[in-house]
Amino acid sequence: MKKNRIYILLFLSWAWLPSAGTGEEITVIKADRIDTVTSGLIENGVIVIRGGKISAIGADVKIPSTANIIDARDKTVFPGLVNPCSVVGLSGSPGGEPASNPHYRIADELYPFQDVYRRILQAGFTTLALTPGGNGIAGQGAIIRPVGLPPRLLPARRMAGESVDAGAGQTPGGMLITESGLLMIRFEANEKAKKVITEAFESAKKDIASADPKIKPLVRALQGEIPTFVRCGWPGAALHLLPLLKPYEKMKWVLVAGPENYRIAEKLAKAKIPVIFPAQIDFEEFTRNRINVPRILAEAGVKIACVPIMDNAEGHEDFLRQMAELVKYGLDKETAKKSMTIHPAQMLAVDYRLGSLEVGKDANLLILSADPLEVGVKIHQVMLEGKIVYQAP
Amino acid sequence: MHKHRTNCRFSIFNFLAVLLLCCSAVARASSPGNHGQDGRATAAEEKMTAIKGGDLYTITGGIIKNGTILIKDGKISGIGQNIDIPKNAEVIDAKGKVVMPGLVAATTWLQGLRSSREINKIADSLDPFDFEVSLALASGVTTAFVTATSSPYRRVQSSGENPIGGTNAVIKMTYGDLDNMLVKEPVAENVSISNRQWLGKTNFLLNLRKAKDYLQKLAEYQKAKDKDKKLEEPKKSPELDPYIRLLRRELPARLEAATADDILAALEIVDEFGIRVILEGCLEAWIVAQEIARRGVPLVITPREKQEPRKDISGPSGSTMENAAILKKAGVRFAIVPQVPVFGLGAMAGRDLMALPMEAAFAVSGGLDEQTALEAITLTAAEILGVADRVGSLQAGKDADIIILDGHPFHYRSFVELTLINGKILYDKKQSTYFSHITHDN
Repeated sequence: MKKNRIYILLFLSWAWLPSAGTGEEITVIKADRIDTVTSGLIENGVIVIRGGKISAIGADVKIPSTANIIDARDKTVFPGLVNPCSVVGLSGSPGGEPASNPHYRIADELYPFQDVYRRILQAGFTTLALTPGGNGIAGQGAIIRPVGLPPRLLPARRMAGESVDAGAGQTPGGMLITESGLLMIRFEANEKAKKVITEAFESAKKDIASADPKIKPLVRALQGEIPTFVRCGWPGAALHLLPLLKPYEKMKWVLVAGPENYRIAEKLAKAKIPVIFPAQIDFEEFTRNRINVPRILAEAGVKIACVPIMDNAEGHEDFLRQMAELVKYGLDKETAKKSMTIHPAQMLAVDYRLGSLEVGKDANLLILSADPLEVGVKIHQVMLEGKIVYQAP
Repeated sequence: MHKHRTNCRFSIFNFLAVLLLCCSAVARASSPGNHGQDGRATAAEEKMTAIKGGDLYTITGGIIKNGTILIKDGKISGIGQNIDIPKNAEVIDAKGKVVMPGLVAATTWLQGLRSSREINKIADSLDPFDFEVSLALASGVTTAFVTATSSPYRRVQSSGENPIGGTNAVIKMTYGDLDNMLVKEPVAENVSISNRQWLGKTNFLLNLRKAKDYLQKLAEYQKAKDKDKKLEEPKKSPELDPYIRLLRRELPARLEAATADDILAALEIVDEFGIRVILEGCLEAWIVAQEIARRGVPLVITPREKQEPRKDISGPSGSTMENAAILKKAGVRFAIVPQVPVFGLGAMAGRDLMALPMEAAFAVSGGLDEQTALEAITLTAAEILGVADRVGSLQAGKDADIIILDGHPFHYRSFVELTLINGKILYDKKQSTYFSHITHDN
């Protein structure tokens, strides 16, 4: 009897989690508005989902007879949000002198059983890139599905003697989309940091075939197989960074910018460097002049991705409102939408499967009460790879 | 009145102010192209600029009334009363204004550099968007000596018994432009010795002697090595490198010497080793002015610094407002800096580098002639920093680092109206938020 109760509990608590896709299940969403982000708005549209992927999308799509139908009348469907640079749930970043630690992997340092991940998923983020801290070459970031389990569920599972391999989200492996999704660098303008970075890349250049875990990630970054994120606070420091990384032509690098970086907007646009910036209206230094940095960057031709102002559960829960504020103060609405979906997916080089509603892509989507940038918009459902993982109460 | 491009942050401020007034809402800072100087820089450099109608305080050639300066490729290409202005030149009308070389700060404590971790190479850490750089431009300071340590008076990085170390540089306040910011690094050896610092002078002398010894052995070896192949090259420890640079007179030593006995002790070292020295502080230099003059040692002084005479010594001591005037009479060259050589919004107005001419004006109160006082914040400072070939005076061939003021630089009411570096306008009082709202009745 007691055992049965545990099974029921387990069933209830895991019912919302995505299980390994069988490929057979067909789900159809009928919605008033489908905002694909990349190919415009579809009114009175249909999305057909097979095996966790979008197999058809449009206004005139035939609905398979065996499909489970989700009726989203009066609703807007929008791609799941992508946060390209977060440290949520990670241990504090080490201080100290700049060093080269490309072998350090977030994938190995992940503690998935944290409630914060689940809250972030419920806030609409279906993809999160977790990035290491530390000065110099900090290590490899991981791209994850933020499907955390509340810690209290663990003992129950153990008591029930369940197998650990229970699909996405329940093991670190299931949480990971890409184990080594990016190389992270934290740059400060000084001789030591420049030396550490240059020496590391120069040695990797000479040893391209190396299997050494301290070199291989650098080679992959150099050859553009994985993107390189560079956290660089002030615009003056970015001016030191640009010539430093210029020789590595194949490298795909992204600037994780601090305040004031609008001052070098034209330079960034010219060098075609995308920028990640908090969804924040800033003050110009030592003035009360407020500035919309994402807008300035975007209008200068810089590709932008926005992240929550605070990198915690509350920050992610407040994100759509923050984005709406940027739009209120002049950021182009379509750019705003891209900057939280397809742009970050492109920066992470996972846009082939994430970041917009297109045939072939993962069925990561949000069913919303209105346009995502409408004030007071409510997230009704979050779908991750074809499964409803959050249903608003 | 001024015809020029607006190409720095002050235009952003202005634009914002207008926008904020119009919409009383959050606004974007500027249209693309309103900030950042490159891109158009090359085109501007090819174009001529003329500053017309002002009184030109040339520093080296007196005051040219109603003169003209021509600027080409960032340099002064012509200066005088009868200069033809090319038709395509951009003309800046300076009628009734004072035109003079950009001020040179012989010591600066740049907080932007201080906040970074240990800096061994200033070139790698310069921030052209540093707020202080914009304040410097608004103050007319275009060139400055900077160190990478936590205080202008504790220039040696490794504390304790090591009397030498840390880097320094001469920079230009090229806001937003990193490529033209560094002029030279290093320009001196940072030395810190005083009778309050245990073992400081001992170690300094010890290492100078070791270095001298090494250089002697090296010379002997080089003379004899062709005859005797078995001879070994003398070994040297890397810590002697700065001392060798001093002995070879490649760089001067910059050290603080406040009192007369500190100064004399430093001069003794000059006598013994023949090194070049720049002395800073030098509150009691007036007492030993002849001794300093005899050795041609230049000083960096602060005329407003005060100290009462000491009762425990028999000779003269303490400060005098005549310090600069007495030094000049004795033939000592000096640059002038304020006591707290910073650009900032804190502390007391009129006493930091934002009021550098005020410090020099005080030396005039103490009997110094105006010309020498002006030189002390322009040409002499540039000479002491080793960059007088490029800045410090209005002469053909020098960098077009020029400021235009609405009155005499030593008048308390004067403001810098326009600051140019390498021929580019980087500050315009009217466009900035700093002082644009301040106007005088006359």
